[in-house]
Amino acid sequence: MNFDKNFKEIISSQAISITGGLVAGTFLAVRIDELMLIPGLLIILPGFLEMRGNISGTLSARVSSGLFLGVIKPKHIKTRVVKGNLIASFFLAMVVSLVLGLVAFVFNYLLMDTFVIKILLLPIIAGALANLIEVPLALMFTFMLFRRGHDPNNIIGPVLTSSGDVISIISLLVTLVIL
Amino acid sequence: MNRLKHRLKHLQRLQKVKRKKHHQLIHQLHKKHRISKKTLFYVKEYGAHSNIPRTIIRESLKVLIFASIISSLGGLALEQIKQIFLSVLPLIILLPTMNNMVGEFGTIIASRFSTMLHEYGLKKKLFLPELKQLWNQILVISIITTVLTVVLAIIISYFSNSEFDVMVSLKILAIAILTTLIMISTLFLIGVWAGKHFYRKAEDPNNFLIPLLTSIADLMNILVLSGLILLFF
Repeated sequence: MNFDKNFKEIISSQAISITGGLVAGTFLAVRIDELMLIPGLLIILPGFLEMRGNISGTLSARVSSGLFLGVIKPKHIKTRVVKGNLIASFFLAMVVSLVLGLVAFVFNYLLMDTFVIKILLLPIIAGALANLIEVPLALMFTFMLFRRGHDPNNIIGPVLTSSGDVISIISLLVTLVIL
Repeated sequence: MNRLKHRLKHLQRLQKVKRKKHHQLIHQLHKKHRISKKTLFYVKEYGAHSNIPRTIIRESLKVLIFASIISSLGGLALEQIKQIFLSVLPLIILLPTMNNMVGEFGTIIASRFSTMLHEYGLKKKLFLPELKQLWNQILVISIITTVLTVVLAIIISYFSNSEFDVMVSLKILAIAILTTLIMISTLFLIGVWAGKHFYRKAEDPNNFLIPLLTSIADLMNILVLSGLILLFF
């Protein structure tokens, strides 16, 4: 067993993730009654929480590859490649939010015989709110970690997950208040 | 200076090459000008003449929509076992952490294996020493973190006025460890297979592997967890 730099990076980032996850879990346990007011919310919850990995995680992995290859310079964020990645990430986040809403709406209607329009709007508004914070955060963390000599691939996932869970659940609760 | 201009001319030619498959030009440029294959791949994919958002959206959209639908199926399973979750407080606290952990291991496997593919390409040998090392690291870390998470979730629920039961706690620990072991083995096997598949198709595995593995992780994690909960409780 090789306890190298990667091992230490993964285990320390997991510690961050556990903390974030437990905070989110406790928050969920405390606020579960409010979230359960909308039927079928649990249908969108895994996909909504997963979105930060799929969108921000992929953005970070692409930028990391570019940084390692030298195509993206660590001191120049405002480049064509980075801007292109940001635009694509926001667009994808909105499409995924729409799909999540549609799927939950259809499942609700077909399996639970309930017609709830809120379930369609909820992930779209909450997704926009969450990704406005999460996507720039992912980019900032990737550059910062690379500049400090770490491999962002090992660390960014848990960092984004723990921060993303809390941001996503808060976005959902804020959207519930708005709606 | 002349040589540099010559290289630039070749790189511009490369950007115009269709992305669908590895072009002979990559091998020629790699051999003649000693430019690494991974740099040439990145130039071809995200070069000056490519529309970066369009390239990323085109490659990611289908797999992301697929991932969302798969996750929603997991959510549907979660909806079915809602009552059990609500009755066992540590499980509610544990759920996001467990889901995160498995998803994160999926992300680490996907991104590290994608980087390995970019660096070493496709080797005949199925498991590189680097890949074996990654597996050992993930296995040890996952067991440590699972035990730690369960202990913390039980402590939090105890301080949230929930009763402490040794048998229930042991059952939760067994469920968590079994779920983690089943999940990381599955993710590793699928990650290696799918990574090689996408690399062979000359696509950037980063764009496919992370959404694929995290959605599989989210769906299977909930299904395995639900099955084990039904079995133990």
